[in-house]
Amino acid sequence: MDLDYTETQELLRDTLRGFLEAEVPFSQVRECEIEKRSDDKLWAQLVEHGYLGLPFPSTIGGGDGGFVEAGILIEEVSRRAAVVPIVEVLTAAITLQRHCPGSSEVVGDILNGSAIVVPAVLEANDSFDSFELAASADGALRGEKRFVDYAAVATHHLVSAVGAEGPGLYLVDARDPAVKCEPIPTLGRTPQSVVRYDGAASIRVGERDAAAALVQIGRALTCVQLLACMDASLEQTVAYTNVREQFGRPLSTFQAVQHHAADMGMHAESSRFLVYEALDCLERDVATDEQIAVTKASLSRAVPDVVMTGHQLHGGQGYIEENDLYFFTIRGKDRALAWGTAEECLEIVAANVEDKAQWL
Amino acid sequence: MEFCWQPEYLTFRDEVETFIHEWRTPELLKEQREREGAGGGPILTRYYEALQEKGWMKMCWPPDLGGEGRNPIYRFIMVETMEYWQMPYGNLTYTSVAPALALHGNDEQKKRFLPGIWDGDYTFAIGYSEPNAGTDLAALRTRAEKVDGGWIVQGQKIWTSLAAQSTHIWLAVRTDTEGPKHAGISLMIVETKTEGITIRPLPTLSGFVTYETFYDNVFIPDENLIGPLNGGWNIIMHALNHERVGLSPTGNLARNYDLLVDHLKNKAPEKLKDPVVRNRLAEMKMQLQRHRALAIRNAITIAQDDVSPGQASMAKISGSELRYRMTNTAMDLLGRAGALTDEAGDLAASDGRQQSTWRSSPILRFGGGTNEVQRSIIAARHLGMSR
Repeated sequence: MDLDYTETQELLRDTLRGFLEAEVPFSQVRECEIEKRSDDKLWAQLVEHGYLGLPFPSTIGGGDGGFVEAGILIEEVSRRAAVVPIVEVLTAAITLQRHCPGSSEVVGDILNGSAIVVPAVLEANDSFDSFELAASADGALRGEKRFVDYAAVATHHLVSAVGAEGPGLYLVDARDPAVKCEPIPTLGRTPQSVVRYDGAASIRVGERDAAAALVQIGRALTCVQLLACMDASLEQTVAYTNVREQFGRPLSTFQAVQHHAADMGMHAESSRFLVYEALDCLERDVATDEQIAVTKASLSRAVPDVVMTGHQLHGGQGYIEENDLYFFTIRGKDRALAWGTAEECLEIVAANVEDKAQWL
Repeated sequence: MEFCWQPEYLTFRDEVETFIHEWRTPELLKEQREREGAGGGPILTRYYEALQEKGWMKMCWPPDLGGEGRNPIYRFIMVETMEYWQMPYGNLTYTSVAPALALHGNDEQKKRFLPGIWDGDYTFAIGYSEPNAGTDLAALRTRAEKVDGGWIVQGQKIWTSLAAQSTHIWLAVRTDTEGPKHAGISLMIVETKTEGITIRPLPTLSGFVTYETFYDNVFIPDENLIGPLNGGWNIIMHALNHERVGLSPTGNLARNYDLLVDHLKNKAPEKLKDPVVRNRLAEMKMQLQRHRALAIRNAITIAQDDVSPGQASMAKISGSELRYRMTNTAMDLLGRAGALTDEAGDLAASDGRQQSTWRSSPILRFGGGTNEVQRSIIAARHLGMSR
């Protein structure tokens, strides 16, 4: 068991943190939210500095890292609440690179910034297990996808669909006029769309197992965003209680306040272990659907409790949007629902309750 | 980062499991129940001898105290495995008194007491708490007055568990009433059969009997003072770091889960098909994983020779509270059968284990430093909240 980052990974985290704190003031995030757009400037910087390529082999322009490096990158970007498709693009790109043979060209394009590929999975039935969107023999897609994050920003969609060969993943040029994105406002204030594919041209890039891997990877990487929301909310709350005084002493000196914060801290600590364990297991190819589902369920449950306790301890100060706390509240809850809610994930665990509990 | 156990630890776990299956007989379990973990019965004595022979009791002690200095992870693996199978692996005599003696006793004292402890001839009860000194232990008032050749002790202790089964009491007494209260405490060993000691049983909610002990003009000879006079507080507060690795195991909670599912599978298969029941079980598995995370995190920190009071407190809170929540849900799922005790025979689920664990859950929450104190430790020392 080695639960800590390597020195190189620590350095990477520190570098990223410094870079993002300097380059992404929260005012910039607020602007994106108001203008309902993504932060294209930051995205260009992430590409240009090679950060986006960290989890990929150097042979295709990457930094020779893996899932843990992806985790570090997502964590730092999410701690700034930045409006960029970091989880979506990494989910698509890692799936393409590891589970869709022959996709290295498009992955290379993603890493050099000429392509932005995001997954499109859920449909009207809101299920990860069944999709009906159809691909005809010539690759024309017909049907509708919902809750597609950053669909309108993307150059391509990685779409789960059913073709003559069965279910699989299809790559679609999002600029094709047969692809129509209709924005839908969400709690999380990040761009999202309902997408209609009216005979859009596509190529089949992955089989059924790739479609399953896409969900597993998306779910695991979303957990990193949840972890970041939890940590950011906790850290801001601790800092606030240390300086805010009532009855002539800091809030942090009240036991009731300490104990709320301790519960937040316990969630953050157990979540960190579970998330990086999931990433490490994905890297070593030993992750199971149940493990990823347990992790997502656990974080999806913990995050609303943590961020709302943060609000409780901030009082009115945390309730106004001049304060940065709300970013992690709304992003946290939105991400708790994304890629499988706590209930959906527990259902996956419920299928195997007869298996012995893992305790070591 | 690598979230898996290195092969040497997995081999060791297998070795522990093999040993457990060799020894885990109904007769041993019966004796363990009857003697309430005190050791000393015929089967347990042989069992502890075998455990000694394996070298597992002291394997993580530093070599200069007679140990092998093995990585504390070995201890963690042993504790977790023993806990899963509910096998004894040493009570406070081994984990608290022996290390304190090895560290703070003089040569004569070590020679006099340690062999008896390791042979299982000596069992110690711990005499710290008093009716008015619980969480605020330094407020203890049991008084030791200096007389020729020793001390005369007057006072009262409470929660002196195993007092009736023990040969000795490891006693904290006030030897100075001036100055700060923690600086006037000394540690002494007193034989349980000494004149003037009265033991009164206090049956607890768990079925386990603890004791109140009264000291009326009890003489303790000079040679039984451990460590420096008025230096007892350090001894009480100090524990071998590695002993904290298994402070809040996942093993016994996982075993509760497995026994619950086994019972439902065999005795109530219809319930196990119920999606609501399955969802509750799934949630238990999730909670177990959260606790496992904190338990392993704490163990690894200790194995790295780091000290993180916050992580230890987290593991302690999480394990003790989950013990209540899990067994509470388990009893709900079992229905009225969940309330049956082992004496109900076949009707009882898993020998009544869910309800007995439920009953014993309070002590883990308030004992060993209340969870309220632990949460304040997390706030101050882990999160950096100012006090």
